[in-house]
Amino acid sequence: MDKGLLAYLLIPLLSAVIIPFAARNRPRLADILANVTLLAGLVNLGWLALRPSVVRGDFADIPGDGLALLLVGAIYLVALCVTFFSAWFMEEGQPNRAAYYSLILASVSAMTGVVTTTDFFTLYVFIEVLAVTSFALITTDESRGGIEGALKYFFLTFPASALIIVGISILLITLGNLQFETLRFFMSTDVPPGPVVFASALIMLGFLIKAGVVPFHAWTPDAYQGAYAPVSAHLAGIVTKISGVYAIVKLGTLLRFFDGRASALSEMVMFLGLLSIAVGALAALRQKDFKRMLAFSSISQVGYIVLAAGLGTPLAVIGAVFHLFNHATFKTVLFLNSASVEKSSGTTDMGKLGGLEHSMPWTSWTSVIALLSTAGVPPLSGFWSKLLIILALWEAGLRGYAGLALLFSIVTLAYFMVMQRKVFFGKKSQAAESAPEVSAPLLAPAVLMSAVIVALGLLFPYFYTYVKMVAERIIL
Amino acid sequence: MTYHNLLFTLAVLFALWAVMAKKLLTSAIMLALLSVTVSLIFFNLGAPWAGVFELSVCAGLITVLFIGAVSLIRAVEEKHPESRAPFNALPLAAAIFAIAGWFYLPAFFDELASWRRLAESSGTIGAALWDLRRPDILGQVLMLAAGVFVIKSVFPRRTEK
Repeated sequence: MDKGLLAYLLIPLLSAVIIPFAARNRPRLADILANVTLLAGLVNLGWLALRPSVVRGDFADIPGDGLALLLVGAIYLVALCVTFFSAWFMEEGQPNRAAYYSLILASVSAMTGVVTTTDFFTLYVFIEVLAVTSFALITTDESRGGIEGALKYFFLTFPASALIIVGISILLITLGNLQFETLRFFMSTDVPPGPVVFASALIMLGFLIKAGVVPFHAWTPDAYQGAYAPVSAHLAGIVTKISGVYAIVKLGTLLRFFDGRASALSEMVMFLGLLSIAVGALAALRQKDFKRMLAFSSISQVGYIVLAAGLGTPLAVIGAVFHLFNHATFKTVLFLNSASVEKSSGTTDMGKLGGLEHSMPWTSWTSVIALLSTAGVPPLSGFWSKLLIILALWEAGLRGYAGLALLFSIVTLAYFMVMQRKVFFGKKSQAAESAPEVSAPLLAPAVLMSAVIVALGLLFPYFYTYVKMVAERIIL
Repeated sequence: MTYHNLLFTLAVLFALWAVMAKKLLTSAIMLALLSVTVSLIFFNLGAPWAGVFELSVCAGLITVLFIGAVSLIRAVEEKHPESRAPFNALPLAAAIFAIAGWFYLPAFFDELASWRRLAESSGTIGAALWDLRRPDILGQVLMLAAGVFVIKSVFPRRTEK
């Protein structure tokens, strides 16, 4: 375990335990404690990542492989946006306010554990904690959709856990221990990798299910659509990224996909990635509900990361890591804004919405920035990560994959154009007439994240040197 | 030897209790205790890895899942109470098995104990947990905390309704 980042795991856990006691008589204290904990962590991380030496391009002080730091940053950023939003979104007098924040902080701890661990079994333990907290968070408002989503999540992710634990036991038998480094070292030797690759394939399959990759995506739209609104931002923004996609990228680098020792597995992962891109994008075109469309778009974007992780060349890993971070930023904006739209106009049905731009300008324009970034329009951050992924595919000689990835990027643009016209632009609908702009605190997280999206796009060269360092450290 | 027999007896008792309990929650807790006993047996037989995983997965994770699921279930008054006759016969069956075991099993236990002597150098439970799997303990603490929060988040809603 990366001890340099241990505090980021322990402090939210401590806050999570304190909150139910401290907020017993003053429920508002739960909001304050959760937000202060996450903000303090984020400021601390900002100091670690933006020191003058780091900005100059000297990464000697960055702990571990650098990926953990980047992802812990993403986790804190998204979680802070979600808790800040929830503090104003949640109705007064909800009986389980303290438990809600405790669960969010426990899931932050678990995610930090996932990204800092260096051992497969510890990874499993933290991923299970994450599954339990997500399961409870999805049902926060006890709506019918939420419970249905939670049950689907339960029935698909626990078999995935079973696959992972079986894979881990075979790995223990064949490798002798469960350290990441042992697997990486084994894959660089000449020993026939059969059983080890088989075990890794089982683990990979488990994580593909948890990431909601096609054909294991059945739980994703229901869980995202049915979940309590800020929770769907938390889930889509970061939880599925960490509990599934991160592990796929990590496993891909450990198996050294780029030197072709596990080529069958690498090809399978790439194929499922492309399938996700295609199915997610085509299904999103046909959706009538705002949140459901975002869920399918999420499946499609996760496909890009999985495709790049399956390829595994240094450039592809840079693209995958960058897209993972970007996806966390723009999906958080979109899901938080969908919650604002739902609160203000009372519906997320795209047939009833329209012309929101006039009545909710801030919500509309931050959404447009996030949409354009998702679709890969320059100079926003999403453009650079997709470009890197497509270039990596082209460079590896996989021109068909590169062409299809590009084509579906255009389909992404198409469905988002349709959505923009139906929800934000065009004639003002009846629902939009009576929909006032939400209050400033509800807008703040979306504005902050939109600023991050624009900044990452414009300051891409600085960010690229960091992500390149990460890719070099995790591949070498 | 005594320690071994005690563990085996406890395992049987907890297993019986888990099956016979009237409340689902008691059943889940007894199952957890059974796992703890089994993991102690693993440790004692010199298989610290099996013990650690049994303790982590079965006693930790699975129990939290069970308790989480039980807390989601609403109590329903059943019109026809379930027939508990087969459950009452269970201790009787266990007693008959125990008497038969009294005659036949000691030889088997002796053999197991000799295996344990072979593996005595493998260290204590604490050492195995602390040296081999320290980050897991952190994960377990987090898991327990998450379990408590799940229950805290679900119960107020139930009582309110």
